[in-house]
Amino acid sequence: MDEKGAFLATIREALGYPGEEVRTAGECRRLFDPGDDGDIFDRITYRTHVEKQSLLKLMMENAVPLNLGVHPVRSFAAAARTIGDIVSAARPEFGDIRQIIQHDDDDIARLQLWKKFAGQAVTVHTSYQADMAVREKAIASYVGITAPRWAVADSATIVEITGPGRPRSTSLLPSVHIALLRIEHLLADLGEAYALLRKNPPQESVVFISGPSKTADIEAHMVHGAHGPREMHLVVIDERMTADRNYQGSGLFPAE
Amino acid sequence: MSDVEKSAYRRDARRGIDDECLQSGLQKIQNRFGKGAMHYWAETADDGLRDRVKKSRMETLENLDVVLSMLADNIEAAGGHVYYARTAEDAVDYCRRVAVKNEVKSVVKGKSMTSAEIGLDAVLEAEGMEVTETDLGEFIIQLGEDRPSHIIAPCIHLDRQRIGRLFQEKLDIPYSEEPPELTQAARRALRKILLEADMGITGCNFAVAETGKISLVSNEGNIRMSTTMPRIHLALMGIERVAATMSDHQGMLQLLTRGAALQKLSTYVSFVGGPRQPGDPDGPEEFHLVMIDNGRSRILADEEFREVLACIRCGACLNICPVYGKIGGHAYNSPYPGPIGAVVSPLLFGINRYADLCKGESLCGACLDVCPVRIDLPRMLLALRRKLAYGDPAWQTTRHKWLEAMGFRLWRTLIASGPAYRLALRCAGLLQKPFISKSGMIKKMAGPASAWTRDRDLPPLASEPFSRRWKKKYSQAAKATSSEVDNG
Repeated sequence: MDEKGAFLATIREALGYPGEEVRTAGECRRLFDPGDDGDIFDRITYRTHVEKQSLLKLMMENAVPLNLGVHPVRSFAAAARTIGDIVSAARPEFGDIRQIIQHDDDDIARLQLWKKFAGQAVTVHTSYQADMAVREKAIASYVGITAPRWAVADSATIVEITGPGRPRSTSLLPSVHIALLRIEHLLADLGEAYALLRKNPPQESVVFISGPSKTADIEAHMVHGAHGPREMHLVVIDERMTADRNYQGSGLFPAE
Repeated sequence: MSDVEKSAYRRDARRGIDDECLQSGLQKIQNRFGKGAMHYWAETADDGLRDRVKKSRMETLENLDVVLSMLADNIEAAGGHVYYARTAEDAVDYCRRVAVKNEVKSVVKGKSMTSAEIGLDAVLEAEGMEVTETDLGEFIIQLGEDRPSHIIAPCIHLDRQRIGRLFQEKLDIPYSEEPPELTQAARRALRKILLEADMGITGCNFAVAETGKISLVSNEGNIRMSTTMPRIHLALMGIERVAATMSDHQGMLQLLTRGAALQKLSTYVSFVGGPRQPGDPDGPEEFHLVMIDNGRSRILADEEFREVLACIRCGACLNICPVYGKIGGHAYNSPYPGPIGAVVSPLLFGINRYADLCKGESLCGACLDVCPVRIDLPRMLLALRRKLAYGDPAWQTTRHKWLEAMGFRLWRTLIASGPAYRLALRCAGLLQKPFISKSGMIKKMAGPASAWTRDRDLPPLASEPFSRRWKKKYSQAAKATSSEVDNG
């Protein structure tokens, strides 16, 4: 018997089965029952835009205690302005040179951030798959811009899936992390995100991020910026936001 | 595991009680997280989640062979390596071989209790490798050559002044006692180490069999760093730390972050496994998962104790336990302190060797109430005591003390015979007088009984025993009833 076989035989014997008889997943089907996510997919598919706007409002509330800044904007141009402001206000933490890095993503490319810093000495890197220096550039950058797959309103979480042009380090090494999301990709709760991950299980790594890095290891005192970004923003593009349906408490979202 | 002397528990518990710094840390964490978790469970309307997760945990354990086999197949299909370690020595030796083969110079660690269980650091250091803990609490512990005292908050026994002086000395920075400044100092020191390390070693909160991924939970981001930047990632996993499906994982994750720190979700939850895929821009070139038995299959085989393997290691029981809340984590002399440690440490490392742990707990039941998956620790503490008292060859325990057993047999005979018992009570009532202290308690008994009062006070016998008071009251009532009948 090989190492694996012997190891599992010990466990089988501990459970009262004969050690030499290999058991298969078919013998405990209930354990691997995929369940039925149909209702969840229906809920996601048929969610109206107004409902999504309510989710965004909820996300903004839930983001406050996590120190996560959520910025609803009406257009890509507005998103670019918001991101430009965040980049301009922040200062490099580990050095003096102002470099930022962004995922190789169509929505991020549409922002044309390289035009935003004409008057300032800010270098914009993109994590192209072919670029062998992406790691070095991520280390040198003080802002990282990513495009998460989804965001979850209930826990104020973004879900990122690694892939070509989308390294993990972009949301990890820079001091400031900015995520760009279309409101269409906003989910209600973690259950919806799990259902989508079950439907198409990614081969690559996945990470849920809920706010900037933090620690409470010294006298249970909360400090932001332990090892990951110390500042995090989520810019949400809602192209159907209107004057009477905005996120400042008028129209659709009455002031509380 | 270092050897534990017999008297260590008593000595270290006393030290803990006398340590003001520890006491204030314990109070802080128990008031906030322990009471908070109890409050949360009481207020949460849908309580079904805890039962559902417990059920799925037990079902997973009952089919652990199948679940682990699937996990291993999926990890290997993704290009990762799986090693099956029967003992701590096996596991350590494999880690050492992987590190040596890859000419590793610097190892960064994400918080892992399993690595402490198997005693990994010393072996890697003996090979000339630099081993650095990256969780802030664990980093502080490592700098101070100290031991962690809590599952989630390892340095809760240190105050900001002690940490400030430690950083001043070891990191060569000006003294500060402000948590943000201290955190920033550690961030700078560790960032350099994290970016240059060759190998990252982490634990595993829960693996998922059907996807072949392991999930790691952290707030600091050190675990993401340790699993992303070094060229090798090695994860240590106790065989029970696995979910069959992502659905099971979801429930476990939600209970873990609630139980540990009252969070809806931790800042980071990463799902990793396998080396970077073609086209992946970063992540490790090599991935190893070490499945560790080290006594767990023996616990699995005993139906009385199997339940303890359902534990999700959130640390909630530490935050509520009145005993842990006084003596702190060091007295347990195990990587697993608190009520969960009092059950799991004897089972993993020897019931005789860790006999004091189950005897020290109060059996108040708070750990059962607060446990997200309702593990019946009090029941198992009693089962351990029974094994110690009566002996069980299967667990290498022998009858504890024949004198104690005799004493209890005598007590049984005495209490079952009315007149002799009453006579004994009256004698004891008279004999106890010289032993009653000013506080009204018996602080010292004579002869073999003195061992019992070494750590406890005993309330004296009432001057009028209950049986006599009962009889008096009963006979008065009987008289009153009969006189009523007479008058009527």
